[in-house]
Amino acid sequence: MLTHHPSIEMLTDYAAGSLTLPHAMCIATHVELCPDCQQQVNKLELLGGQLLTDEKQEQRSLEGLKNALFARLQEVPEKAPMTVGKNIQTTSQQAQHTNNLGYRVPRSLKQFVTQAYDDLTWMRLSPSFKIATLHNEKGGPQISLTRVKAGAHMPTHTHTGDEITLVLEGAFSDESGMYRKGDFVCRDASHKHKPIVTKDAECICLTVLDAPIEFTGWFTRLLNPLIRRHHPLSS
Amino acid sequence: MEQATKVTSEHSLLQDMSAVAQHQSQEALGRLFDHYAPKIRLFCLAAQPGANLMADDIAQEVMIRVWQKAHLFKPEAASLNTWIFTLARNARIDYLRKNSRHQSDIDPEYLWRNVIDDKADPFKDAQHHRNKTQIEQGLEQLPSEQRQVLYKVYLEGKTHKEAAEDLALPLGTIKSRVRLALNKLSIYIKR
Repeated sequence: MLTHHPSIEMLTDYAAGSLTLPHAMCIATHVELCPDCQQQVNKLELLGGQLLTDEKQEQRSLEGLKNALFARLQEVPEKAPMTVGKNIQTTSQQAQHTNNLGYRVPRSLKQFVTQAYDDLTWMRLSPSFKIATLHNEKGGPQISLTRVKAGAHMPTHTHTGDEITLVLEGAFSDESGMYRKGDFVCRDASHKHKPIVTKDAECICLTVLDAPIEFTGWFTRLLNPLIRRHHPLSS
Repeated sequence: MEQATKVTSEHSLLQDMSAVAQHQSQEALGRLFDHYAPKIRLFCLAAQPGANLMADDIAQEVMIRVWQKAHLFKPEAASLNTWIFTLARNARIDYLRKNSRHQSDIDPEYLWRNVIDDKADPFKDAQHHRNKTQIEQGLEQLPSEQRQVLYKVYLEGKTHKEAAEDLALPLGTIKSRVRLALNKLSIYIKR
């Protein structure tokens, strides 16, 4: 049972389409795993439909645009096939992409994780901690996956910006609680924490960092230049 | 009386949708265009004042999707207004990420489910109908300050934070106005 959800503000910004794309990716992944938030988003979209159509009409004539549309209709195929657009597989259809651990990559990550998590390029930062960068947004946040072995703890770190973590597989805990598959955790710059992965399984998380994290441990501080070099804000 | 006209127009729009779906009626698409294109343009202009080209592009894009996907639309599972809204929202995000200074390589197609992907489910359909009525009726009674904030977030595409800066109000005030509004519309019940 997942227990940590995004705030209603974030869900509203997501449904309205005003959220930045890296943050939207975290929400989309959570919503895929959380029927409650899915329902919430459905209702927020209903509101969007209502607000769109309640608007007063503008008086300008759109005949020219209408003619242009009809001219274009000749060129486009009449009916879209049952699976439209980029034919993105949903979680239920992608059994072939599960590996021996049974991991399923959520649809929201398919642009960057086309096959399995194992096929990504993982950078080992310690014997029990690996990171794979999915995408560096230009001048913006970094999206990555972290993979921590069962029972291991992540190096103590502080955030220099906001961090969103979404548990994809396994579970971890920190001072404030326990986080399981699908849980959504938002931390700000003031936070210094030391997550520990549960003993039964490894933990894979999606993280979106607005700015590089900083390790504060005695030894792991040596990793900071490495982490910073990989964050888009530093380039 | 006003309620009655609303219902009739919704009914005739749905008839037009099925005419497009079943025999590619261009006339019906024309009527859908007359109804929705001005609204989609306003939706775009709210976010980017004066960007008429963008508004035209997106309105056209959405109508082409309607033309191609009308047969996938199931009126019992989703409202037509909502479907058009999600198409317009996604098209606007895609346009802005390709053309604005906040360029992004993240493809929004992966990040928002399409409302027409839902499987048929009578229980959910009934629930959906109830939600829709609650929102329609609730919106009419919303205080203007709450409506204004919803307008900022949904139509202008502002985040809560940006809406707060725009209106020169504390973020907390914006948050509580949105929450109050969502509460009245029975969209958000605090867990």
